[in-house]
Amino acid sequence: MEEPAADVTVGVTNAVTEIAELSGRKLVDDNGQIIRPAQGDVGCDAYISTSSAGGGLQMMVAGVVREMTAASAKRAALGAGAIVMDVIASNDRRLPHEQIQRIRELRPDMILISGGTDGGTTSHVVQLAELIAPAKPQPRFGSEYRMPVIYAGNKEAVPIVEETFDKSVELSVVPNLRPVLERENLGPARDKIHDLFLEHVMAHAPGYDKLISWTDSPIMPTPGAVGDILRTIAEGQGINAVGVDIGGATTDVFSVFDGVFNRTVSANLGMSYSISNVCSEAGMPSILRWVHLEMDERELRNRVKNKMIRPTTIPQTLEALVFEQAVSREALRLAYQQHKEFATTLKGVQQQRTVGDTFSQNTSGQTIVDNMKLDLLVASGGVLSHAPRMVQTAAMLVDAFQPEGITTLAKDSIFMMPHLGVLAQVHSKAALEVFERDCLIYLGTCVAPKGQGQRGKPCFSYSIRSHALNELGEISCGELKQLPLADGEKAEITVEPARGFDCGAGKGKPVRKEIRGGTVGIILDGRGRELELSTKREQSVPAVTQWNQALDLYPESS
Amino acid sequence: MQGSIRIRMMMLMAAFVVVCGWSAISNAAPPAPPSGITVKDAPNDAGTGLIVEWQLSPDDRKDADPRVVVRYEIDRLARPLKPENETPIKESKFAKVGEVNFQLAKYLDQNANRQHEYLYRVRAVSVDGESSTAVESTVAVQPELQYFDMRRAWYLVLLVVVGGAVVYFIQVVKSGKDLKIRKIAGLEAVEEAVGRATEMGRSCLFIPGILDINDIQTVAGITVMSRVAGLVAEYNASLEIPTCRSLVMTTSRETVAAAYLSAGRPDAYREDDIYYLTDEQFGYVAAVTGNMVRKKPAACFYMGAFFAESLLLAETGNAIGAIQVAGTAMPSQLPFFVAACDYTLIGEEFFAASAYLSHEPHQLGSLKGQDIGKFIGGILIIAGCLLATVVAVMTDPPSGLESLVTFIRENILGEKGFMP
Repeated sequence: MEEPAADVTVGVTNAVTEIAELSGRKLVDDNGQIIRPAQGDVGCDAYISTSSAGGGLQMMVAGVVREMTAASAKRAALGAGAIVMDVIASNDRRLPHEQIQRIRELRPDMILISGGTDGGTTSHVVQLAELIAPAKPQPRFGSEYRMPVIYAGNKEAVPIVEETFDKSVELSVVPNLRPVLERENLGPARDKIHDLFLEHVMAHAPGYDKLISWTDSPIMPTPGAVGDILRTIAEGQGINAVGVDIGGATTDVFSVFDGVFNRTVSANLGMSYSISNVCSEAGMPSILRWVHLEMDERELRNRVKNKMIRPTTIPQTLEALVFEQAVSREALRLAYQQHKEFATTLKGVQQQRTVGDTFSQNTSGQTIVDNMKLDLLVASGGVLSHAPRMVQTAAMLVDAFQPEGITTLAKDSIFMMPHLGVLAQVHSKAALEVFERDCLIYLGTCVAPKGQGQRGKPCFSYSIRSHALNELGEISCGELKQLPLADGEKAEITVEPARGFDCGAGKGKPVRKEIRGGTVGIILDGRGRELELSTKREQSVPAVTQWNQALDLYPESS
Repeated sequence: MQGSIRIRMMMLMAAFVVVCGWSAISNAAPPAPPSGITVKDAPNDAGTGLIVEWQLSPDDRKDADPRVVVRYEIDRLARPLKPENETPIKESKFAKVGEVNFQLAKYLDQNANRQHEYLYRVRAVSVDGESSTAVESTVAVQPELQYFDMRRAWYLVLLVVVGGAVVYFIQVVKSGKDLKIRKIAGLEAVEEAVGRATEMGRSCLFIPGILDINDIQTVAGITVMSRVAGLVAEYNASLEIPTCRSLVMTTSRETVAAAYLSAGRPDAYREDDIYYLTDEQFGYVAAVTGNMVRKKPAACFYMGAFFAESLLLAETGNAIGAIQVAGTAMPSQLPFFVAACDYTLIGEEFFAASAYLSHEPHQLGSLKGQDIGKFIGGILIIAGCLLATVVAVMTDPPSGLESLVTFIRENILGEKGFMP
């Protein structure tokens, strides 16, 4: 939507015209308008849209205690599809003038304030408002645009907060995010963020007012829509799911465990703009441990910087591909680690104990992400979606996320998930059917018991029965094996883990489950969890070479 | 008539018995004297002991019945040593210093003085109190000072190992390496508890036990108090500390003031929130629990020495919905705290709090070094128990094994060793 057009609908019309050409169905009329509703073989019934223009929705959130109401506010903003630019809290170890300076520097699209339980502190919440009001944060778009501020804190502090802000901001009050510390109520704040995103942010972006009039359903921030479809699928099928979208600058991780949805944005982990940061955060040795080819580290560093300044380039050689996929493994691993740290149980909740807990007093705020409970792992983003071989996508997912037990692997074929997220609001059945049939490409199933064992010792034995497959065998520790099971086929697998290994039913206990095939098939992973791979080349190269050969990852290199 | 004759007969018989008895006593021979007396310096002492040994009297037989010798009496003659260039001091007389039972041929005189030399004599004493002739040592012996008590050599070895471990780990921490310390949930939860109080707009309550400042648990509690006060200052919450001892109140005020200052909030410190109630145990508890019910603090900390009041306090805190963190080394109170509180620091955890919270190299190194000591102690106890069990179970244990158990018991784990 840059100049000279400065109109987002130009791009939309071009895209729809392209779809029309591919499908052979006329979708755009002579005036450049999308034809609605469908008339025979012309036009479409509904037009829906998501938006990540200008870097998506950018928010600043504030709360009283960083780990409590501020964390809830962050969850609400991330869940609504925003990027959280900063979190202001009473205990963020910054002095008031530093906080005000920071608020002035940021140019968020909107601000979310939370803090205090209902009937709780008012002084802290008002202090937050008193930091934001004089800072007069400037919005990104439009000089006449009044900064939307959502207040979702202690209801008793509402009158004072309203008094604190003048007319320069658009204050909206919604029910408290944490009415009591034991419970989160993120829905109203999320809905308000979506409303304000449309009313204020989108309305001030070039051409968006026209686009809004075209759509049959509210425009959603792209990541928010991805979260919605993942949540719908997880709830509909009663499964736990993790989705990842790795981009050039950021990596989004979505998870639904036991019905609780979480999303994180790792702002500095990506495959082009942020590739240098991945190398610095993970360290070159950690990246190189996934590379089985001999490479010159100096050349790799040049490659990293080239990728950063020319982000649209794609690997041209095998070495470049292997290296890029090694970087992606580390980026995904770090993003997932951050997600695990964020997706936790609520803090500040009173515990109930018995004398039996004397030696096992767990703190609250434990991660709810449990790889053993994970049923479906969905990948999207250039490096995963466009890997030359499907098995490479599967290998990157398995190495980075280290699923435990029996996990289905899939990838989003053409980044369709966000649109299905919006479609689910219009026609949920259609959205789910498209999701199952066209959106997801099932890669297969990964079987990986949790535990550690001496290399070469038995890890688990398996028995797989289906129409096309009848396999029995044993996997040793450190071994990786691929078995074909075509997409759409199902098989019954019985896994008998060795002593000390757990495949979901407890250590050493057998598991029987129906699994689905995919373009890759079944990956039997005996490498143990946590997956340990040394950064010493003399140890990592033979191991990674063996794994690559087992999965036939890079046939050109052998 | 017959009656008077009978009385006379009885009197005559009685007189006969008395006369015979007297004759037996007066005619009892003294026992044979002991022989071969030797005197030597007692090893491993500060020059205060001499060992006197002799050979038993021939009458002191193990199977003698009736027993002739019942004890041995030891006399000592102390002769002050001549200081250089001074005239000799005159000798004193033999005096009794001790006695030992029959069948014992050794006496340890622990009241000797390095400024004297000693002669000893030993007499066997019969059941009638008759003493044998004394056997006397011929050479005067002077006690000697030993600088090292070699019986405690194991103590030295273990001291060096544990001390070395402490020094080593201090150096490790100083060199920048991270020492892994197990997460102590109770201490991690302090921040959470203060956060809860902040969000709920209520105060934090800290009870530093009911003993005085000379109790180590109170001191440990005040270390945690410093951390709590720092967080309260940082979060801009409020903290109330009722104390049971006036000195604890004074110390608490100093501690909290310092914590507020280091958090950059000296203005927020309020001295009146730290106050003395009463020394009386249940009077104190009544006042505190009443206060809790009225003010409903959102976070309660019980850190120190507690007795019967532990459950009263913790139950009240639980009832008002507070997050409660307790820490004590009183084993009898721990179950109550565990059941009623959210988090409990148990014994050593409580004392390790200071190192855990400060991450200061000396404290961390000491903590880790002490762990090594405890580990060695545990291994020795387990090994000792296993060996002792084996020896006890075996009908004819090898003498080497038996002496090993004795050695471990007496020298490593016993009074003279690692666990005095």
